[in-house]
Amino acid sequence: MIGKLIRTDFMKIRRKGIWFLAILGPFGVVALQMVNYGLRKDWFIQQDTFSWFYYVRNVSAFTPFALILGIVILASFMASIENETNAWKQLIALPVSKWSVYLSKYTTIGLLLVFATCLLTVFSLGFGVLLGLGGEIPYLDLIRYCFYPLFAALPILGLQLWIALVFQNQGFPITIGVFGVIMSYMAYFLPDWLIWKWPSLDNQWDEPLLNVCMGLVVGLGIYLFGMLDFIRRDVK
Amino acid sequence: MEYIVETKKITKRFGKEYAVEALDLKIPKGEIYGFLGPNGAGKTTTIRMLLGLMRPTLGTIQIFGKDLKRERIEVLKKVGSLVENPSYYPHLTAYENLEALRKIYGISKKRIDEVLEIVSLLDVANKKVKGFSLGMKQRLGIAASLLNSPELLILDEPTNGLDPSGIIEIRNLIKSLSVEEGMTILISSHLLSEIDQIANNVGIISKGKLIFQDSIDVMRKQSQNKISFKVDDCEKVWRFLISSGIKADFSEDTISMLEQNDENVATVVRLLVENGFSIYRVEEEKRSLEDTFLQMTAEERVI
Repeated sequence: MIGKLIRTDFMKIRRKGIWFLAILGPFGVVALQMVNYGLRKDWFIQQDTFSWFYYVRNVSAFTPFALILGIVILASFMASIENETNAWKQLIALPVSKWSVYLSKYTTIGLLLVFATCLLTVFSLGFGVLLGLGGEIPYLDLIRYCFYPLFAALPILGLQLWIALVFQNQGFPITIGVFGVIMSYMAYFLPDWLIWKWPSLDNQWDEPLLNVCMGLVVGLGIYLFGMLDFIRRDVK
Repeated sequence: MEYIVETKKITKRFGKEYAVEALDLKIPKGEIYGFLGPNGAGKTTTIRMLLGLMRPTLGTIQIFGKDLKRERIEVLKKVGSLVENPSYYPHLTAYENLEALRKIYGISKKRIDEVLEIVSLLDVANKKVKGFSLGMKQRLGIAASLLNSPELLILDEPTNGLDPSGIIEIRNLIKSLSVEEGMTILISSHLLSEIDQIANNVGIISKGKLIFQDSIDVMRKQSQNKISFKVDDCEKVWRFLISSGIKADFSEDTISMLEQNDENVATVVRLLVENGFSIYRVEEEKRSLEDTFLQMTAEERVI
């Protein structure tokens, strides 16, 4: 059942430019590094930071920003596809359970984000090679710094999807989302318990894996909360 | 009689307002049930509860003899519906819209062409729904509701926005579905004329309460013309008529009888005159089905 729903959800995002967004996001992140290294390559060499180690961290400095923005847009997009002609009443009157409808939306966004993250890995690797960075290519480090933020951002995905599906008017979820994006900009100054800090992988113990674990656990919690609320609500 | 839909005292409350109150809906198998009521009477809320979109505040719903709350998915497999304005994905074609539903039902792709044929949209199957007229969107909605070959079809104001020929087409379609496929159909409308032409059973809802539920023939009987008498002492006259074996009703200052042939009216008049009652007026009250409906849904007089 859930497989069928996910397939229909992917059908519904046809011709909506969502795939384009999923490509644009990671490309944008790497493009910022193109500017960065294009302008300051000599400075990096001078500082002795022209290496894969610093490059990977430079890329990942902009990942949270793009990731959160992506989540906000995708969540509101998924909601607006059903809201547009109130297709909820048609969808929920089908022989499907409400939790699977919610899970399907969540998974669809999740898969799009995984796709975007894979692209981010490939794009960063490609540009890194193009730059001719010194030393061996740290594949594991690269993959880690691309995928860790995604897992750490799951609570934000849960939150955004929930409020996007609950509010008819997407103004509110977008506002919260933009607020989150701004927060992620100043992640360094935020306390560790704020979910918008987590995708930056920064915490006082300097252990990125901690953010991933927190993301998974709290993400699951927020997901369940949102889903139960969605099930409880009447369809207008 | 076997009922496909049977609700027991379903009630829906929004805050302090009762949108639907203690509704006992009974929809017999294979019949076309007309669900009538003015705008805002609670028709759509009731239909949403029947589809499991809204949870009743109180009461239970049984469809196909199954409890909707417990076996919602099983029930919905055999229900087709079109609630209020049709829902569709404007950026997808008509075919893709139905495909998105077909995948979930898990039925054969052939059925999409079949239902598009039924609502005569086959030639625009690959056009985006965005560009459809309201009537075409409505037909697409009906096609979607027929996709799973349902045993119970729930149509909420299905002729909204259709032109006269479209309305006749849909009406004929609904009739043929009932006759040929033995489908049970619930069709809601605020227009009695609409229901009068297709339904065998009627339920009338007003201000959230079911005020009439029976076959349309019973309703027609209630709408028969009446002969009313204005006389000097109503109660006395009424007693006299009853004791003479003549059926009559009395209310305030009139005596009324269901339509009689001329001979019978003459007999009653003669009887009254011979027995010394004064007759001020004898009037014929013409009532259409529409009048009965309006009277039923009027605030003061709840039957």
